[in-house]
Amino acid sequence: MRWDFASVLAHGDALLVGAAGTLRIFALSLVLGLGLGLVVGLGRHARRRWLYLPATAFVEFFRNTPVLVQIIWFYFALPMLLPFAISPLAAATLGIALNSAAFSAEIYRGGIQSIDRGQWDGASALGMSWAQAMRRIILPQAIKRMLPALTNRAIEIFKMSTLASAIAYVELLHQGKLIASLYFNPIETYTTVAVLFFVILWPLVQMSYRLERRLKRNE
Amino acid sequence: MYSWDFTPVVANADLLAVGLINTLRVTGAALVFGVALGLVLALSRLSRRRLAAWPAGFVIEVFRTTPPLVQLFWFFFALPLVIGIEMTPYMAAVTTFSIQSAAFFAEVFRAGIESVERGQWDAARAIGMNHAQALRRVILPQAVKRMIPAFMERAIELMKTTTLVATISYADLLFAANEVSQKTFRPLETYTVVALVYFAVIFLASLLARRVEFAMARSGEGTLR
Repeated sequence: MRWDFASVLAHGDALLVGAAGTLRIFALSLVLGLGLGLVVGLGRHARRRWLYLPATAFVEFFRNTPVLVQIIWFYFALPMLLPFAISPLAAATLGIALNSAAFSAEIYRGGIQSIDRGQWDGASALGMSWAQAMRRIILPQAIKRMLPALTNRAIEIFKMSTLASAIAYVELLHQGKLIASLYFNPIETYTTVAVLFFVILWPLVQMSYRLERRLKRNE
Repeated sequence: MYSWDFTPVVANADLLAVGLINTLRVTGAALVFGVALGLVLALSRLSRRRLAAWPAGFVIEVFRTTPPLVQLFWFFFALPLVIGIEMTPYMAAVTTFSIQSAAFFAEVFRAGIESVERGQWDAARAIGMNHAQALRRVILPQAVKRMIPAFMERAIELMKTTTLVATISYADLLFAANEVSQKTFRPLETYTVVALVYFAVIFLASLLARRVEFAMARSGEGTLR
């Protein structure tokens, strides 16, 4: 058989639109997911039960259901309860962000718990409140340790963004599907899409390896 | 106010049950092939021969770095044209998820094998075992025990990933849910029930994995993470 990448390159603009969609949902899910994850992670760390229990239920539920099921639930099921429609972008972002919040919450919790007790004692000896100690002393140290795991999460979020194509959100894979069905060139199109993802993610993966190695050396 | 009605979902429980069985079938098949292939990939990557290590490393990195849904589409829509065979959704799913999870299992195997002390190799050599014998009789039995928790976690991830087969119309649980919701016009109830079914199955598996991890930590076998 003959490989013909010209028909894919001719529609590079469509792929570009898709890449922009991928980046948009990635950025939204990353910020919302890791931000909410910190809140939930603090809840998991809390000793007060009314904070700990809901945070734990949230983490367990979203870690133990498939993301695609969550996205589809937000897109097809949730609108029945709401007076307005939900866009594919909103549904996919909700699913991916909540799922990532549950996973990153455990990273935050582990990072915070790994900080020596003495740091807390030192901070409160200086008269800092819990919030001040957390913000000024504990989190800056913990974030450094969490960096490799958080980078891995970011990579996972990028990969998960392809699931949005299942509810017809315009991203890279969705555009690939479109081109492949219009021009009957699935081999070239899907290969191109796979290579694009690899090229974007490869440097990120390498960075996470490097961070991990550096952390191991420093500790 | 929306009035919930689960009776249409309950009436179609048999469809959902078939879907769940199909989900478990794909998971089981991909798990078996994935573990076997993962061991081969790990041993190749650890090999000192470049000709074996390099391709294994390439497969592992590519399949860990690209989105599983892209892989699935490639295997379902592109591969049949490349090699000229008919591909059923089931075959495409098992192929994709076997190779994909093999890439992850390979890293679990590699970490497990590398975690076994150097001295164990030396001792095996000293009593006259060759590389393969040492690996099979001394190193792997110790490594496999340490890998079990990471292993179970990967298996759970695999089960969650299998929901992607619904996008190429394999009749798994998620696909069955889609059918039932279109038939009954009850998407809210159907998808809620299906989300809970997934949660129940996966949560039970997670609890089991945690218990095993705990028991092993107590028996003094350091787990990987």
